[in-house]
Amino acid sequence: MRNILNYFLNSSSILKRIGNHILDLRIWKYRIATYSIALFGVIAMFIVISTPLTLSEQAIFAILAFSIALVIRTLPWGQAGIILMIVISLMMSLRYMYWRLTSSVDFDTALDAFLGWGLVLAEIYALIVLILGYVQTAMPLKRNAVMMPEDQTSWPTVDVLIPTYNEDLDVVRLTILAALSMDWPSDKLRIYLLDDGRREEFREFCHEVGAKYLTRENNHHNKAGNLNAALSQIDGEYVAIFDCDHIPTRSFLQLSMGWFLKDPKLAMVQTPHFFFSPDPFEKNLDTYRIVPNEGELFYGLVQDGNDLWNASFFCGSCAVLKREPLMEIGGIAIETVTEDAHTALKLSRKGYNLAYLAVPQAAGLATESLSRHVVQRIRWARGMAQIFRVDNPLLGRGLTIWQRLCYANAMLHFFYGLPRLVFLTAPLAYLLMGAEVFSSTAIMVVAYALPHIAVASMTNSKIQGRFRHSFWSEVYETALAWYIFLPVTLAMINPKFGAFNATSKGGIVEKEYVDWKLARPYIFLLALNLIGFLAGLIKLAANDGTAGTLVINLVWVTYNIIVISASANVAKETRQLRSTPRVNASLPATILLANGKTIVCETSDFSRNGLGLKPLTAVEIPVGEQIWVSIFRGDKEAVLPGTVSKGGKSIGVLFGNLSVEQQRELTQMTFCRADNWVNAWGQAAKDAPLRSLREVLTYGVFNLAPLLRDAIRDTYLVIRARSNRIKLKA
Amino acid sequence: MKIISVVSAKGGVGKTTISANLCSALRTEGHTVFALDLDPQNSLRLHFGIAPSHHAGVALSSLRTNNWAKAMVQCNAGCVVLPFGHVSESERISFEGALSKNPLLLSQQLVSLGLPQDAIIIIDTPPGPSVYLKQALSVANIAIVVTLADAASYATIPMIDSLIEEYCLTRADFIDYLYVINQLNRSRQLSSDVADIMALQFSNKTISVVHQDQSIPEALACNQDAIRYARESRGAQDLIDFAMLINVTLNDVYRSQKNEKYLELFS
Repeated sequence: MRNILNYFLNSSSILKRIGNHILDLRIWKYRIATYSIALFGVIAMFIVISTPLTLSEQAIFAILAFSIALVIRTLPWGQAGIILMIVISLMMSLRYMYWRLTSSVDFDTALDAFLGWGLVLAEIYALIVLILGYVQTAMPLKRNAVMMPEDQTSWPTVDVLIPTYNEDLDVVRLTILAALSMDWPSDKLRIYLLDDGRREEFREFCHEVGAKYLTRENNHHNKAGNLNAALSQIDGEYVAIFDCDHIPTRSFLQLSMGWFLKDPKLAMVQTPHFFFSPDPFEKNLDTYRIVPNEGELFYGLVQDGNDLWNASFFCGSCAVLKREPLMEIGGIAIETVTEDAHTALKLSRKGYNLAYLAVPQAAGLATESLSRHVVQRIRWARGMAQIFRVDNPLLGRGLTIWQRLCYANAMLHFFYGLPRLVFLTAPLAYLLMGAEVFSSTAIMVVAYALPHIAVASMTNSKIQGRFRHSFWSEVYETALAWYIFLPVTLAMINPKFGAFNATSKGGIVEKEYVDWKLARPYIFLLALNLIGFLAGLIKLAANDGTAGTLVINLVWVTYNIIVISASANVAKETRQLRSTPRVNASLPATILLANGKTIVCETSDFSRNGLGLKPLTAVEIPVGEQIWVSIFRGDKEAVLPGTVSKGGKSIGVLFGNLSVEQQRELTQMTFCRADNWVNAWGQAAKDAPLRSLREVLTYGVFNLAPLLRDAIRDTYLVIRARSNRIKLKA
Repeated sequence: MKIISVVSAKGGVGKTTISANLCSALRTEGHTVFALDLDPQNSLRLHFGIAPSHHAGVALSSLRTNNWAKAMVQCNAGCVVLPFGHVSESERISFEGALSKNPLLLSQQLVSLGLPQDAIIIIDTPPGPSVYLKQALSVANIAIVVTLADAASYATIPMIDSLIEEYCLTRADFIDYLYVINQLNRSRQLSSDVADIMALQFSNKTISVVHQDQSIPEALACNQDAIRYARESRGAQDLIDFAMLINVTLNDVYRSQKNEKYLELFS
């Protein structure tokens, strides 16, 4: 037994050898052979998915497939293991869909047919996204950085564009100072602030630090228009673009420019957007750095997967574009509100290459409240739907089939609103209205649907590992489903509909509160599902209806209740008193006291206006004491004046009015450090589906009652306030 | 036996402090360390808690018995100190006369002490060119040039460099010399700028930094070395870092010597 186990554990190298042998075969040189093998695969798959089986046969088949997937999941087979799991998953999911379309849509009544077909369509959507997702993420490219040549005279000129509209100077200042500190020959690096707010103090600041300041007559086309106006005034070979709250590290250009010199057809290199503050999900659900956020899945896996198919996205910031190709497509695209993705699509159509480099070389603030997060996601969803309408990647010239699929999936992804709402209400069709959305027995539904869902979940969990945790992503999607559903639908009807909303960041939430305006649809959904659950229980007790069908729907509705409960809790805004988020980092530092003595410390965290310090030995420094703090980076040292805000084992220091030079030094010593974000990237624990399920269940269950209590209390308060107002008027 | 000479072109740059703390740090690292004061100011002993009334030293021993061993003082820090000693003006002049008459005086005396193979001798010297400096450099395996981050100190560095070139670089047993910028204060623009210029100019040499720190003079006032007195201070940490650098250099040398011995055995 042990031998067999060892064999499997060491099978990775054996598998690799066999795989290489197969790849070395001459047969692959002949296209006809490749196509024949593919055709054979498709036929075999069709036989597997279409062969009718009895209930017990299907059950045995399902258990077998599930068990095999379960074993492969634990084996160190790398990419081969993932591909095998994908094949099993496709087998079970396509088999389910085949059965669903041939054996479960024989509806009795018009209501059954309406609701039933609605569910089937939602399921088809989910299946398409599942398959496209496999294509996109099965084999991430994991591109390495290319070093720049030694001889700096051969390095190209780069214009750094930082568009801003209404953000605070405190936020923008940091980005400009960091951009100015990038390691690049100074005669080949120009920093431009593009101020659509046309603010005098911004102009003065740029003048003072040596950045260039550009404005334009109007604000047409917002960010895209702002960038285009600047593009017509600059002449560098490359343009690096940063949102005004994305702070680049000093190594950004040296790491991201190398590929351009290697690949002359390359038009864009995108790097991840890394956030050093929690987004509303992480903040309000308290999952920061424990459960990966949506961005981590996208930048950790999806973009790397896209890169294999030469379909990496431009994400509007933390990217470098080559100016010539960009001008060839008419600058940044202005037709939609997601100008970045559309620009990438246009570059692809012209035959240019796009690259993604998964090294976080810039960091910024996440949106800090759910309402702002929702506004941002609405914009993305609306923009993607617009591109789907005005420049559909499945149609038109210049794209490979794989690029089409990757782009299409990126857009289809944002159409999840309606299907998600369908899944969240589907069991109510039977529980409340008695509609049969499956024209089949309950046990058959289980025998087909369960392996489809289970194997797909397991496969995704295997692929996505550190970058997404099962079930939590359902919570993320559910919380946004209602809000993106309408804009996406409207944009599909008329792409011109919808205005651009800039997402502003950096703020404080003084008191915990529930954003009822955002939570309302979910409270409503929750109430419906709770009623459905009660109705189901009553029916079960009264023996009214089929017990099997009732149990399935009850389980489903219970799951929905928990997910909706967790999602609605995102609207409960927790307190956030610090307007400037702190970054955890241990950097060498020294405190210089007024009496000339010094204390060696390590920083525990830094922000743009303060530091946390851990002294080598405990010292008592009175709060309010004026001190100097030194921060070191190699031989470099920055000395900054500050005030002690907290004494004891961990000392808090707030910087007062730093001079521009001091601010520059602080930025260089902290935010600009090349190694800042790399270590914090993709460090969440690997996904364990059952643990994630337990986490979401516990979270949903424990927060259900407080949520309902708050809802009733706040509703009561609103009604009382209203009746008081009416009384006053009278 | 390895000899480390601590030198400077200008006075008041903290040579004695650097010497004393280097002794105690290397001692902590397990070396056998001897501190020799060749400066008529006779102040090195104060860093080791030797009473001001203690008058004996190498100058008088040299003149009277021609045996330095009697001047050795065992100190509580575990180092052995050879103070310069309290001398009259005429005694000092005759000692200096003896030194200029016999350029090998220091070397002969050190050999006659019969110190163990692995001993380290740290020699503190008076500022600027002198008979002491000449002999200290002539025997040194490692030279440490102490300077402040100010314009005057910076301007005098070439003078010391030329002395090192003359007395050290020509010898096969000389290992290396390095700079220490003492009392650096980066919050002062000039201090910071001079340090940067030096780093740029001597980019191929090792430059250590010891930050300005009130704990260091305070330690002396309390008859202790700074490393013991205020370990948590940046000044003490810098001194420790510097001593570790010397320690690594010495260990490398010992290791390569050992290897050579083995190679000889097998050849």
